[in-house]
Formats: sequence, C-alpha cells, structure tokens
Amino acid sequence: MIAETATRVQQHTAPRVNEHIQRNARERVCELGGYDRASAIASRLHELDREWDIERVLQTHFAIVSLASLALSTLVGRRWLALALGVPAFMLQHAFQGWCPSLPVFRRIGFRTSKEIAEERFALKALRGDFNDALQSGDADDLLRAVKS
Amino acid sequence: MLPATTRRVERNTSSSLNDQFRHQLTENVSHYIGARRHVIDRRLAELDSEWTIERVIETEAPATIALGITLGILRSPKWFAVSAFAAGMLLLHNIQGWYPLMPLLRRLGFRSQYEIEQERSALRVLRGDHKGYQLSRTH
Repeated sequence: MIAETATRVQQHTAPRVNEHIQRNARERVCELGGYDRASAIASRLHELDREWDIERVLQTHFAIVSLASLALSTLVGRRWLALALGVPAFMLQHAFQGWCPSLPVFRRIGFRTSKEIAEERFALKALRGDFNDALQSGDADDLLRAVKS
Repeated sequence: MLPATTRRVERNTSSSLNDQFRHQLTENVSHYIGARRHVIDRRLAELDSEWTIERVIETEAPATIALGITLGILRSPKWFAVSAFAAGMLLLHNIQGWYPLMPLLRRLGFRSQYEIEQERSALRVLRGDHKGYQLSRTH
C-alpha cells in the first residue's frame, strides 16, 4: 500500500493532534493582526522558511539511531544488529505508508508536514495581499514570484 | 550554519538544473491560467501524490543501510561500513543539505517539497483560495 506523499503523515496522526496543529497555526495567523502587521508577517514568513518539517526531523532521527546501533553492534554485541535492521525497516515503512514508531512522538511535540507549513505561508501571504496584483497581471512568472517571495 | 529547510535542495543543485526546474514550474502554472476549477482540482490532487526528493531519499537510504547490514551478517563485517556511510550521508543531507545522489535524483526530475508547494500555492491563487482569507479577517 503506497500512501499519498503530501498527506501520509496526517493520515497516521491522531485526529486530535492534527486538529491541535491546525488550530495553533490558525491562532498564530489571527494574532498577527496587531499594529505593524507587515513586519510581523515578514518575520513570521522568514521563520517558516527555517522551520524543520517532519521529514527533516525523522531523517535526522533515523540517521542518528542507525549510526548508534551500528556502533553498538560492533562495540558491544551482535544483539544490537536487531535494532540496526529495525531502523531501516521502519524508515521504509514511513516512506511508503507514512507511519513509523517515532512519528506520534514528533507530531505531539508539534513538528509539521511541509504542506501544513505551506498552508500557514499561504494564509499570511493572502492576508498581506501578495496575490492580488499577480492575479490581475495574469502572468505565470508574476504569480510564482508572489508565491515565492 | 544550518540551511533553511525550504532552500537546502535548491542550494545543492547546479544552477542550470535549477533553471530547468524553474522553467518547468512556470510552464506548469501558465497551463492552468484561466482553467476551470475541476481541472485545477485534478492537478492539485496529482501534486499531493507526487514523490518528493525527500521521499525518494527515505526509500533509497534505508535500502542501502539494510543491504549493508545483511551483507555484513552473511559475508564480512566490513559491509557494515556501507551502512554507516549511508546513515552518515543521510545525517549530512539533513544538517547541511548535500547528498551524494542529489545530482542524479535532480536530473531524474524529482522536485523538492518546496518546489511542489510553490506550484500548489500558485494553483490555489488561480482557484481564488486567497480571497477567503481576506474575507475571514474582516470579521
């Protein structure tokens, strides 16, 4: 069974946790309504670019556990090879199906998918009015510039 | 210094390939200017299932790690070095951005998550999604 790339993490997160993540983002967007909204939006957009998404967190986590279990199986005992084999197995499960044992933990901490982050970026840019001019010109380059900047 | 999550793939792609990806993106989007809603919806669904470069790496890296361990058990412990190398490269990709297979995967046409999100946002603007956000702010 091969799940959709963009939604496979949400599919394997408890609905309550998904809602919590969405509600947090919505509240953050609404709170930016204060004075000097333009600079608040600009700095939030910059933060979003730097935010570690769930794939980056999981990959780092997998790499570290892999290296540690390989080191333990050479230094301590062959029993650790079971862990060393378990890690790539779960990494593959995450790639194809979406779930892996550490996913619920990282989702509860609040790490988001790149689609969830893009959703917040889109909302902020829409609020700032970035898309209005681009849409009027009807040019794909203008539109992509507005989406990216 | 850690590169931004949205930039790390493009930063590790040659500029001529990046130009190609940008050109393709413009072409994809211009195809949908003035398109009907259901045509845009269909493309958005396609984007949801497109394999990103991260997903390809998450498939390739564990396969290499598992192969190294299997050969290490069956043949010689020297093969564990392959697993350690693959895990090390995965760590490097996430911290610094570079990955040994990146040039190959990019040449095969796999896009970063951010490139796909750009196309998605542009299509959503064409569909008029952004108007809803401005309205909801006023009350």
